[in-house]
Amino acid sequence: MTILRELLQSFLTFLERVGLLARFALQLLVITPAGLLRVRPIIEQVYNTGALSLVIIMTCGLFVGMVLGLQGYDLLTRFGSEEYLGTATAISLLRELGPVVTALLFAGRAGTALAAELGLMRATDQIAAMEIMAVDPMRRVVLPRFLGGVIAMPLLVSIFVVVGLFGAQLVGVEFFGVDSGSFWSQMRSSVELSDVREGLIKGVVFGIACSLIAVYEGYNALPTAEGVGRATTRTVVISAVVTLILDYILTALML
Amino acid sequence: MPLSNHNGELLYNQSGPAGASAPAAQSPSIAVLRDVHYAVDSGKQVFTGLDLEIRRGAVTAIMGPSGTGKTTLLKLITGQVLADRGQVLVDGLDVAKLRRKELYALRRRMGMLFQNGALLTDLDVFENVAFPLREHTRLPERLIRTIVLTKLHAVGLRGAAALSPQQLSGGMSRRVALARAIAMDPDILIYDEPFAGLDPISMGMVLRLIRSLNDALGITSIVVTHDVREISQISDSSFIISEGKVVASGTTAELRDHPSPIVHQFVEGLADGPVSFHYPAPEYHEQLLGGHSFA
Repeated sequence: MTILRELLQSFLTFLERVGLLARFALQLLVITPAGLLRVRPIIEQVYNTGALSLVIIMTCGLFVGMVLGLQGYDLLTRFGSEEYLGTATAISLLRELGPVVTALLFAGRAGTALAAELGLMRATDQIAAMEIMAVDPMRRVVLPRFLGGVIAMPLLVSIFVVVGLFGAQLVGVEFFGVDSGSFWSQMRSSVELSDVREGLIKGVVFGIACSLIAVYEGYNALPTAEGVGRATTRTVVISAVVTLILDYILTALML
Repeated sequence: MPLSNHNGELLYNQSGPAGASAPAAQSPSIAVLRDVHYAVDSGKQVFTGLDLEIRRGAVTAIMGPSGTGKTTLLKLITGQVLADRGQVLVDGLDVAKLRRKELYALRRRMGMLFQNGALLTDLDVFENVAFPLREHTRLPERLIRTIVLTKLHAVGLRGAAALSPQQLSGGMSRRVALARAIAMDPDILIYDEPFAGLDPISMGMVLRLIRSLNDALGITSIVVTHDVREISQISDSSFIISEGKVVASGTTAELRDHPSPIVHQFVEGLADGPVSFHYPAPEYHEQLLGGHSFA
């Protein structure tokens, strides 16, 4: 009975958290049209979440592409079809690895930074000070950070894919001697616009999910050092799980 | 600007609190709390029938031992939390019944100095003071600059306009926060523990500023503190809160002569009295020898 009660309690807590997150998302949605008119803070946040994540995104993109080049070459030579290496890596990167790995890296770099920043603003009374100054912190602080993340994510996905393709080309063409013409022409003839679209849609959806989780956890963090730490940890864990679940759902819907 | 003379220095009422309290004595109350009950989420009852009136134009001190809900009282006045029972009226408006827009309109007439300053860390000193002006007005940049520099000059930190909050000392942070709090020329200025952790010089500066701003701007000041000696130099009246209620009110002299043992203990800063040094616990020897749990 105790186990059942605990399970029920956990389930109710989970439902409560989902409900609170949904209400928070709805609040953001309502203020988004007005918030879009204040372009400058959004650009600043695109810089903070996007531009400052570029190094890690490009480094990881390069190595993911190089690994794909290695694995793809090894597999395709067994069937004598190494000229399809470009197609294989491009589709893998565009449809799956680009958006998913970028989202996971985004959650680890920009998501934690957002959560920690908002949590510390709460802990140091900056949020309360805004409320006393009759400034809505949701509009002034949360919304630009959320929108900045949503805009930055598909851009980061695109950069990740481009750098990843360069990495695959580096390994396949430069190291293993796959014909450069075959590599690029096979890719261009096989990759369709729907593949690019799938990657970008995933990028936008993951951007919404990861940014929402980060600003929600940070904004609602307990105003203590432990509370801020917990918010950043939860941001990474929840974002990673939600990204993978959403990836499955989106893939199933778009196939 | 009403708060400074031709040299830009604050006008200070040399006659002190007594002189300042004379016109305030006839003024009506700006904040009234009636039979306020409030409990925190954990169930702990903070207020159990609190009654309090704050006079317009006066410097009012809210004092009491730690954990008696002084900061919560400020949150009730500013509408950050709502009373479970009772009424909180600010300038005749029932805070609990205000819609968000109305509450924000009321808050625009308030300024608050937080214990740690609560400066926005991504903005420099100038932008921190300009923040409420930029958010609530469409003043030209030149005028915003003039207002910000005037407010910073009033707190003696015009030269620190380009510094970031991380470069400021505790006392400087609080003075910048004070400049920000008066940027919109509020009717009510609320101070939450303004002297905590300050050195004597900074404390003297803040003390002088509270009185000067109150008199020069013609505003109402509410100061939450437990620094009895300091606040008694500038306050017109004081309230002492303990165990969820106001246990004493009046001028500093009246509080000194108050018959209540808890007021006596607090005003004189005595270790022994109704407020115990020890948090409630089992018998010392029993806990040491008997293996009592800490829960």
